[in-house]
Amino acid sequence: MTQSPTLSRRQGHSGTALPRKSRQRGADARAGYTFLLPWLLGFIALTVGPMISSLYLSFTNYNLFEPPKWIGFDNYATLFQDERFLQSVGVTLSYVVFGTPLKLAAALAVAMLLNSKRRGQGFYRSAFYAPSLIGASVSIAIVWKAMFGDSGPVDQGLSFFGINIGGWVGNPSMTMPMMILLTVWQFGAPMVIFLAGLKQIPGELYEAASMDGAGPVRKFFNITWPMLSPVIFFNLLMETIHAFQIFASAYIISNGDGGPAGSTLFYTLYLYLRGFSDFRMGYASAMAWLLVIVVGIITLIFFRTSKSWVHYSGDAK
Amino acid sequence: MINRRHFLTTVAIGTASAAALAACGNGGSSSGQTGSAEKPVTINYTWWGNDDRAERTRKAIALFESKNPDIKVNGNFTDFAGYWQKRATEAAGGGLPDVMQWDLSYLRDYGQRNQLLDLGTVKIDTSAFEKSLLPSGQIKGKTYGIPTSTNAFAVYYDPAKLASLGIAEPTGKWTWSEFQSFLKEVGDKGNGTLFGSTDFTGVWWQFNIWLRQKNIQAFTSAGKLGFSKDDLKTWWNLNSKLRGTQALVPEDRVTQLKPKSPFGSNVSAAEVTWDNFMAGYLADSGAKQLKLVPVPSDDPNNLGLFLKPSMLMVASAKTKFKDAAARFIDFMVNDPEVGQIFKTSRGVPASKTQRDGTTFDGADKLVVDYEKSIEQYLKDAPEPPIVGFGTLEASFGRIASDLNYGKLTVDGAVDAWFKEAEDLIKQNA
Repeated sequence: MTQSPTLSRRQGHSGTALPRKSRQRGADARAGYTFLLPWLLGFIALTVGPMISSLYLSFTNYNLFEPPKWIGFDNYATLFQDERFLQSVGVTLSYVVFGTPLKLAAALAVAMLLNSKRRGQGFYRSAFYAPSLIGASVSIAIVWKAMFGDSGPVDQGLSFFGINIGGWVGNPSMTMPMMILLTVWQFGAPMVIFLAGLKQIPGELYEAASMDGAGPVRKFFNITWPMLSPVIFFNLLMETIHAFQIFASAYIISNGDGGPAGSTLFYTLYLYLRGFSDFRMGYASAMAWLLVIVVGIITLIFFRTSKSWVHYSGDAK
Repeated sequence: MINRRHFLTTVAIGTASAAALAACGNGGSSSGQTGSAEKPVTINYTWWGNDDRAERTRKAIALFESKNPDIKVNGNFTDFAGYWQKRATEAAGGGLPDVMQWDLSYLRDYGQRNQLLDLGTVKIDTSAFEKSLLPSGQIKGKTYGIPTSTNAFAVYYDPAKLASLGIAEPTGKWTWSEFQSFLKEVGDKGNGTLFGSTDFTGVWWQFNIWLRQKNIQAFTSAGKLGFSKDDLKTWWNLNSKLRGTQALVPEDRVTQLKPKSPFGSNVSAAEVTWDNFMAGYLADSGAKQLKLVPVPSDDPNNLGLFLKPSMLMVASAKTKFKDAAARFIDFMVNDPEVGQIFKTSRGVPASKTQRDGTTFDGADKLVVDYEKSIEQYLKDAPEPPIVGFGTLEASFGRIASDLNYGKLTVDGAVDAWFKEAEDLIKQNA
């Protein structure tokens, strides 16, 4: 490594510490990139590569077996005449619109409870986080299916109170509430982030508010909410994107067919069925890209609107 | 406190990774074409079925390995629906298992697209097979599948359940309306605890048989639909008076019981399906005895029945162990001891060598006797149905289920199915 004149001049001022530091920095960078390499290779080979090829496939009639043939925008055009596709959009949107706010509300409520100083908080925090650790797993979906099935614990519990819905799993109008309950129950990840955010709010603000006679509701809306708004925004964004991608639990609860009566035909599930059951991988790729674009647009809208309600420290506002 | 730049970076990275679409396939590999007792080759074999079939298959594999020390068989199984999705993934990645249990519905999809080995190029003994059956595994003169066994459609019933309701056992000589009255009687007397059967109009093959009774082909030789919207309307309207009554198992019960059937779960007294489900039903339901009678027909001389290969054995076109794969297939379809292991749980053995070497008693004898009893009514086995048939068969059931949920009218259901069918035929043309 050659030393620049600037550096050598500085060297004169501050002794021998600097060149060692700079050499050190070069080595650090190299080590950094070396450690980054496995991820970078994986990112290019397993994420960027497949994304580009799926973009190409979305303009073809690829059927998994035969070489793809270019068909232009046909896949995209037929999407909107496909009733099953429109159904899957409806199902997914209602899940996102109802499931995400409920999940975040549950996460915030529990985070606030766990933020107070109480004995055994460590235990409670772990306990409330646990469902999220196992939540994405196949076993939970199976347990959920059994719980909400005919004569399952939920059915029996409700019958005890005189509510007779029967099994939720086989009832097309009850599967969506069931899926939403499943996601709400897995509030652990946003809760932990909320908790971290709550801990960063200076206690003096609450003290000062108390002095001025503010009640808990007032404190929540005038201190907690604005101070926490970047975290709320982050969680809202992540959970919305996450909700669009629901697949595993729907696949298991519906035996992989989006039933009963298409009530759990989530977007990704229909995409999967199109690709791997009907061998229409071109069509499925078009669906995947449409989802990427729509999620991108929604993210953009979130960022735009965030200016009016998200407050960052150090901002002039 | 939360700093803006830091925060946005996190969000950006999170969003990027969340939007990522990634897929990966896996290909198995090993070297060498043939093995020896010291260095055996390993072939992968996969099948669909329940635990009962898994147990029997494991026994058959163990027997094969003891007779062929130079070959190891690595077995794997799933349920029927997941089975085909998994095969599609493997085919796309070029890693189909060496030997697979196969269904007629998917033979064209994979055979016509060069995914399956032409079994005419390897040594498999088919001399003990009925000449009329082998074309079921052939496409354009090439043999892609060897039938393990045959099955035929039948009406199952549980004699003990009928006796407990005081209902006489059916003789199997019945018209469609007589069959429906029977279901209604079961439903009325069963009073919510026992239903007649599932909606049999939701089963593609039963529809196919009904068409045959009217001398209508399901598919033309050109790969088009051979029946009209009106035919399907008549068929789905057949049960319009029974839907929602106790004659048929309520659709939400059917959904909840999946992957088991209502009949296997003791929820219904009868079921119309393939005769080789006997072993599975007995295992699932724990019933002492189940009986079989022919399907209803308004023309007593034409029951529309046929023997179908209940399943076929196929090999991957890309297998490195053609010889080992062929020997395993030959063993599974011809060996009498394999017949003894499976009995009729795969269907009645198609190879005479295997059939004659198997003793059938109890429930298995009922299945064999049933196929003998309908011999005079049997017509030619169907050729492998059109490309994409597996999808059509599945959507037939799904749309019929929507019909039972009351989400569609019969006319709406017919339109929905025809739209999907025509779209699919156009796609694969």
